[in-house]
Amino acid sequence: MTHSFILLALILTPLLGVIALQFIPKDNYTLGKNVGVLFSGIPFLFSIYIIFDYFQDGGLTGYSITKKWITFGNLSESPGHTQTLYKVGFDLGLNGFSLLLVFLTALLCMLSAYASIKQVNYAWRLYFSLFLILETAMLGVFSAQDIFLFFLFFEVTLITMFILVGKWGYEERAKAAYRFLVYNALGSLIMFSVFVYIFVNTGTSNIGTLTELIALNGRLAPEGMGFSDETRSVLFLLLLLAFAVKFPIVPFHTWLINVHAQALPAIVMLHAGILIKMGAYGLIIFGLGFFPDQAQNYSFLIAILGLVNLIYGAMLAMIEDEIKKVLAYSTVSHMGIVLLGIAALNEFGIQGAMFQVISHGLIAAIMFYLVGKLYERSETTVLRQLGGVAKDMPILSGFLLAGGMASLGLPGMSGFISEAMAFVGLFEKEPVITVIAVLGIIIAAVYVLRAVLAITFGKGDIMKERKWKDLSFTEALPAIILLSAILFIGILPNVFAETLRPAIELILKGIGG
Amino acid sequence: MIHSAWLIPVLPLLSFLIVILFLRNKPKLGSLVANCFSLITFILATLVLVGRLQGDSLLREWNWLEVGSTTITLGFEINALNSLMLFIVSFVSFLVNVYSLEYMEGDDRKSIFFAYLGLFTFAMLALVISPNLLQTYIFWELVGLGSFLLIGFYFYKDSARAAAKKAFIMTRIGDVGLLIGILLLFTQVGSFEYDEIFAAVRNGELIGSVITASAILIFIGAVGKSGQFPLHTWLPDAMEGPTPVSALIHAATMVAAGVYLVAATYPLFEVSQIALTTVAVVGCFTAIFAASIGLFQKDIKRVLAYSTVSQLGFMMLALGTSGYVAGVFHLTTHAFFKALLFLAAGSVIHAVHTQDIEEMGGLNKRMKITSLVFLIGTLAISGFPLFSGFFSKEEILISAWTSGNEIMFFIALFTAFLTSLYMFRVYFLVFTGETSEASSHAKESGSAILVPMLILAVFAVFSGFINTHWFGTYLSDFLLEDAQITVKETHAPTWILYAATIVSLAGIFTSYLLFGKNKTKFGESSFSKSPVYSIVYNKYYIDEIYDAIVVKPTRLFAAGLKFIEWFCVGGIMKTISGCIQFVGWIGSRLQSGKIQTYGTIAVFIFALFILVYGVTNGGLLK
Repeated sequence: MTHSFILLALILTPLLGVIALQFIPKDNYTLGKNVGVLFSGIPFLFSIYIIFDYFQDGGLTGYSITKKWITFGNLSESPGHTQTLYKVGFDLGLNGFSLLLVFLTALLCMLSAYASIKQVNYAWRLYFSLFLILETAMLGVFSAQDIFLFFLFFEVTLITMFILVGKWGYEERAKAAYRFLVYNALGSLIMFSVFVYIFVNTGTSNIGTLTELIALNGRLAPEGMGFSDETRSVLFLLLLLAFAVKFPIVPFHTWLINVHAQALPAIVMLHAGILIKMGAYGLIIFGLGFFPDQAQNYSFLIAILGLVNLIYGAMLAMIEDEIKKVLAYSTVSHMGIVLLGIAALNEFGIQGAMFQVISHGLIAAIMFYLVGKLYERSETTVLRQLGGVAKDMPILSGFLLAGGMASLGLPGMSGFISEAMAFVGLFEKEPVITVIAVLGIIIAAVYVLRAVLAITFGKGDIMKERKWKDLSFTEALPAIILLSAILFIGILPNVFAETLRPAIELILKGIGG
Repeated sequence: MIHSAWLIPVLPLLSFLIVILFLRNKPKLGSLVANCFSLITFILATLVLVGRLQGDSLLREWNWLEVGSTTITLGFEINALNSLMLFIVSFVSFLVNVYSLEYMEGDDRKSIFFAYLGLFTFAMLALVISPNLLQTYIFWELVGLGSFLLIGFYFYKDSARAAAKKAFIMTRIGDVGLLIGILLLFTQVGSFEYDEIFAAVRNGELIGSVITASAILIFIGAVGKSGQFPLHTWLPDAMEGPTPVSALIHAATMVAAGVYLVAATYPLFEVSQIALTTVAVVGCFTAIFAASIGLFQKDIKRVLAYSTVSQLGFMMLALGTSGYVAGVFHLTTHAFFKALLFLAAGSVIHAVHTQDIEEMGGLNKRMKITSLVFLIGTLAISGFPLFSGFFSKEEILISAWTSGNEIMFFIALFTAFLTSLYMFRVYFLVFTGETSEASSHAKESGSAILVPMLILAVFAVFSGFINTHWFGTYLSDFLLEDAQITVKETHAPTWILYAATIVSLAGIFTSYLLFGKNKTKFGESSFSKSPVYSIVYNKYYIDEIYDAIVVKPTRLFAAGLKFIEWFCVGGIMKTISGCIQFVGWIGSRLQSGKIQTYGTIAVFIFALFILVYGVTNGGLLK
């Protein structure tokens, strides 16, 4: 049975919300925000449906959509090409990895929209319109089965995010938005060049076809067919560079720190939770998918980059004195684990990397959600000025501590699973790098506890002026949902592991494992 | 009964969840619920121990995570060693729960306290029944969480915050060693299961250096948790936690987990003389090192903390000199008498509101029962004949002697002397002599505090008889029945028994002369001006040394990275954005400087590219 329309509906419903928003009078913010949150939540329902359906009959092929979109060419028969028609398809589809990312996106969008309500004080119509377009674009990125469609969605996230960061947020938001745009546009440019090159030389832009064509045929095809080894190395490195910006890989990370520190916490939930994951997603799907041999050749480089990310981010997180910056560097550090997992190029490693992508999305979201709630009360995020929050706000502090524990990789929570798998995967290949990376978890404990305890523990001089209200149940709800997800993955990881398995097997098939 | 042993850790977990979710603001009900769960847990654990005494070991596992062709399992195992541990942990935990009913009275976060106790007990019990290394590691970290939460229970105190943080980080340094050891073993054996690892060791599938390395790495984990030198510094600071916590976590159970881990992975250690020697040397040095610090401390809980470090060193020494049973035996007796000492100290602190032993005095008139049980605990730890510590410490000394290392034997013997010296110092200063000002208003504690102490006192006296050469080596027979280790028959010279008795009595006598008769107070004597005193009193400045050689350089390194971040990475950033701005300036007519146009242009260029390349059939790029 085909349910292809469900995936399409999942992606497009937020756009209906954009239309609906335009009819709401400007002074009716209450209705506006409700419409915004409502439409942001609908894809979540669809994603739950797909997940349940997936677990019942195990297939995702029913959700694929293949539509002719742009076709041209067929002008001449040229040697070396089996296809003479140039096709850009409107191809959508899911695999286990992208399904989980779609689910994560839908969940975080809903929670982030909810968290936005109190944080958006002006131009709400524009805010929620952009927010919903961004949601569609992110969902599109993870379900696109065509490189140009992927690129299109990718660009839309860039533009909407640019305005969302630049228009709402803290003092230096314009600068942060500009930096975000400059870096990411350069990344996109490189990515686009690679895509065009591939398209021109193969005549197709379908991801599945390309994976077969480049990755498998590249090795199996007779001489003269496909890309040469040198070309593939160059393309792989260019892709690595393009996604390094999004990832972010040190030293291309400074824009991320600015965005984390200057954007609204609700937007950072999405940004740290999902947007940067497009870098990891792209590297895994295109980098590993198209160029497995090259990934193999450069795995040592990737491992080194991962290690640098891990240690560098952790070190700077340790001395930052503002919680949002601590979390930003913590993101850099956590993405190092993804690189380490990718560098392992075996089941443990790849699975660890994918788990880390999901896990960090949840952890970053809960942390920024809580920071947002804290800021609504404290109006400061500087660690020195905070302290003793646990006295008036035990619930918020409890969640903050739980999020921190997840962040430092406490067993029973999602971060442990991903870190442990990445380490196990990498150890047999690069024991020395792994050992240094494992030492990084000490620094993780240092920076997490330093920041979280500085806020929650202590005498609490800041609280003497007035009593702070703890999280109400409705305020705590997003944190409860996120924490439950973190614990669920940590306690029953196999549910996600089973979902990811086919996607991992496909990638490892290319690697020839 | 033994088949439902998995319930034992689950019950405290339920207790934690119920209390923290629903009874947070109901201290009475919350503490009662926690106590009920604790009692049932204890009963179950006792039944399992009895079941194991009569029956066989048991192993049950379920699939937890599949990665490729590897299946990682979770499950539980009941063997001689861990059924004993289950009993000890649940027993002390239950008594501490009862004790806390009164001790934590009036604290408005009483429910939270009991919830955390449940969380800790859950993790500790689950750690003990883990059948594989990964599961051990999971709960190994979770006991650390429980310990962290309880040390930081008085979160508004800066000292508690620092102590909680320190405990977590210092033990995590050890944990990293353990994790690397696990990774190494997994890469070599392909499994986390104890049984398969031991089988690989037995069958000679692992080369010697791998075994040695993994054993030492596992031992590093034990060093962190058991407060062995050089990772011991967190344990004395952990005394910031409420005293019942110190009794449960930082005396009887969690800190003994390191010793337990070495015992549980003993087949690895056994085949590597280097690993064994490492364990013995570290244990021996820690024993005397901590005892010397304990001698000069003024805070009653800190004396006990250093004493714990020292006694754990004794256990390590035993394990390192092939004294598997001796180590576990001392772990058992120590759990009882040290928990007793801490609870008694708590009763004293509760009454006099100070922790400085030099401010106390003459409490035996006002707190008769506390005084009595403290004396029993002190006699037990000092190895006074026929008290529990007497038998277990003798075993350790025998083990050290028969292993052939005389230096370590004499160090251990001297440490035994120091032990009775510093422990009786506490007893004499606190309980005997004239009533001090701080002690003058002291009142004996209530029954919820006294009864657990009395029960522990009985165990502190008699638990030594489970393993004696006079009545029978029950513990030894039980443990060695299914431990996968080889036992060397040894014949201990009888003079060791006399030597142990003499040093114990000599220590008590010296202590009486110094502190019983003369009431020497280091703080007031001229000795306090001497450099020896200040070095030892300041714990050999280990914290300061760490600060200078680890903390400060790390901060400096981080600051260096921050510099790089600003100037180099930031420089690249500015250059790039400068270039873009320049291009933007050139193309400003095209883009009209507005960002919204960017999107249009991107799409436009995108379409153009496709068109051009499509039309030229990709010729441009060839």
